[in-house]
Amino acid sequence: MQNWQGKLILMNKWRRQHSAAIFIGFLSNLKEVFITMIAVLIFGQSSQAGGTLFYTILFAGILFVSLVSGIIKWWTFRYQLQEDELQVRQGLIFRKKRYIRKERVQSIDINANILQRLFELVELRIETAGGGGEPEFRLIALRKEEAAAIKRELLLKESASVSEPEEAEAYEASDVFTEETETGLAYETSAVMDDEILEPEEAEEEGTYKWKLSPQRLIAAALTSSGIGIAATFVAAIVSQVQQFIPPFLYERMIGWIIHSGVMLIGFWIVVILLIGWLITIIRTVLKYGYFTIRKKDDEIHISRGVLEQRQLTLSANKITAVRLVQNLLRQPFGYTAVYVESKGGGRKDEDLSTILIPLCKMKEVDSLLIDILPEYAVKREYSALPKESLRRYMLRLLMPALAAAAIITYFAPFGWLSLILPMVAAVYGYWQYIDAGIGNGSGMVWIRSRSVARSEVIVPRKRIQAMTSTQNVLQKFDDLFTIHVSIITSIVGKTFSLKHIGKEQRDDQFQWYSYEETEEERKE
Amino acid sequence: MREKPDQALDQKVLKVWTIVAAAEWLFLLLVPVGYWVATRYFPIPEWPLYVLAGLVILAGIFKILIIPKMQWKRWRYKIYDNEVELMYGVFVIRRVIIPMIRVQHVDTAQGPLLRHYQLSAVTISTAATTHEIPGLDEEKANILRDHIAELAREADPDE
Repeated sequence: MQNWQGKLILMNKWRRQHSAAIFIGFLSNLKEVFITMIAVLIFGQSSQAGGTLFYTILFAGILFVSLVSGIIKWWTFRYQLQEDELQVRQGLIFRKKRYIRKERVQSIDINANILQRLFELVELRIETAGGGGEPEFRLIALRKEEAAAIKRELLLKESASVSEPEEAEAYEASDVFTEETETGLAYETSAVMDDEILEPEEAEEEGTYKWKLSPQRLIAAALTSSGIGIAATFVAAIVSQVQQFIPPFLYERMIGWIIHSGVMLIGFWIVVILLIGWLITIIRTVLKYGYFTIRKKDDEIHISRGVLEQRQLTLSANKITAVRLVQNLLRQPFGYTAVYVESKGGGRKDEDLSTILIPLCKMKEVDSLLIDILPEYAVKREYSALPKESLRRYMLRLLMPALAAAAIITYFAPFGWLSLILPMVAAVYGYWQYIDAGIGNGSGMVWIRSRSVARSEVIVPRKRIQAMTSTQNVLQKFDDLFTIHVSIITSIVGKTFSLKHIGKEQRDDQFQWYSYEETEEERKE
Repeated sequence: MREKPDQALDQKVLKVWTIVAAAEWLFLLLVPVGYWVATRYFPIPEWPLYVLAGLVILAGIFKILIIPKMQWKRWRYKIYDNEVELMYGVFVIRRVIIPMIRVQHVDTAQGPLLRHYQLSAVTISTAATTHEIPGLDEEKANILRDHIAELAREADPDE
């Protein structure tokens, strides 16, 4: 056992979380209830079901129950740090014991959102590999030193066990089992395999690479973020419910006014809604990616970000399975791009289960940044364009539905012929998709570029590809085109990247590159 | 150019597929039968019955007689030393390469129908994907499973 301060206090003793856990748990419940309440008010027909009093009582009841359950939860939740292991017991009626073994820990995040920062506490998130229903485990109110101690114990120290071969690691069947004892207590033992992820050093060390998102870039990222659509929809929903809060006579007058002023005013409202939506997105992005910093030491990449809610994430470079460059429509004209990574373990729901590596950088900076952060992926990418035949496929695929829609609208709606702009847009877009599509390989990597709405480039090492598939449907058969699919591992399930309508030669080239079997020609050489 | 895989599935799988397709077709048959019953009790026209019956018979011919046969003809696989290759599909032709070093585990499985015909399906799983060779002779499937497992174990992890 190493001797470092505080160890004696922390280890081998059942402890409760800081009592602020009750408050933090309660407030995050409150946040959820509040959001539900707003949603009910906005989207629900609140006039029908008993009115405000009913809802007030209902929500008050929910809050009371959540407060009491929060106290019980805090009281019954106890943890103990043992050597190479974190033990947790919880539950009042159904008691559960969980042992988290060092070997099975995938990653540990330490976050502090605004509530935790109020009490100078942190949240600890432990991700374990496999292991049934609960791959994630959270302690919401810990003192910083405690969190650091747990992280150190579970990640930093060299494990005595022999490490598994790299690929097999995360996928071996987990050994979680539940045992009912005579007293009805359920014990759950879980252990997770993994290698060591070091904790971020507080002081800057020699050999540590550091990259910061500059304030200008942060602003640019916020201005060009693509969340406008969602925010605008939300604003529109609120605006559409405003009538409930406006006295009827005023409302009628407004309606009359709107009908008189016609198209101009509708256009004005659309612009206003979009602007508000944009503003919300900007603020959200700034809060999310403010103080974005990457630190790299040896194989460990530490990402910390967030203004109100600070997040820290540790990735291990040898667990990254793909790099993605995503250029949305607003960023492309300025040559900006965002860089995501796929990795085994890690990744969040709100980022499509990928992890953002660089929120915004110039396209031409990508390679030099990759050299510093993920040198393996910094390859010169040359794309071979798709054959001419596939242009038709790309265009028809969008044109057909657009034409059908336009025909219907033209037939039924006044000024419907205006909708003929749809097929034109579709044709141009199809052409654009064709132009952007490309594939290539070399130095142990395959790269695929395609466009759905945003343009994305994905770089995958050959050794990360689990299987390569080509498909050919009846239509593609006419032109001898194929779709290629490349499957990799990501945090929860696999992910497959595809490129539609590549030529036969391109398909054969990819297969030959990927194949682990020597071909006839190679054998002759 | 790469050679296509050349191993076919067991002939008896065709029988299994035909039986399964026929059973599924019986459900489809419920539609015209239901309509026929309805005509007994409600004053609705009779002609849709013939249209429905015609469609269902046509679907039956395709589903039971033509598609399983084409599917069987198209199904090819090959086990190399370093990879498994599959090629199959009627409307969408699918060709898959699974390297041995990516194979996590290999299973054989048989339902009651497959068991009756002494057949077995071999499932090959990687960390991200699952692939199936749907019908081989029981004994052959077992040998194949052990063979792939052996090759997967031997595969050079440094590749």
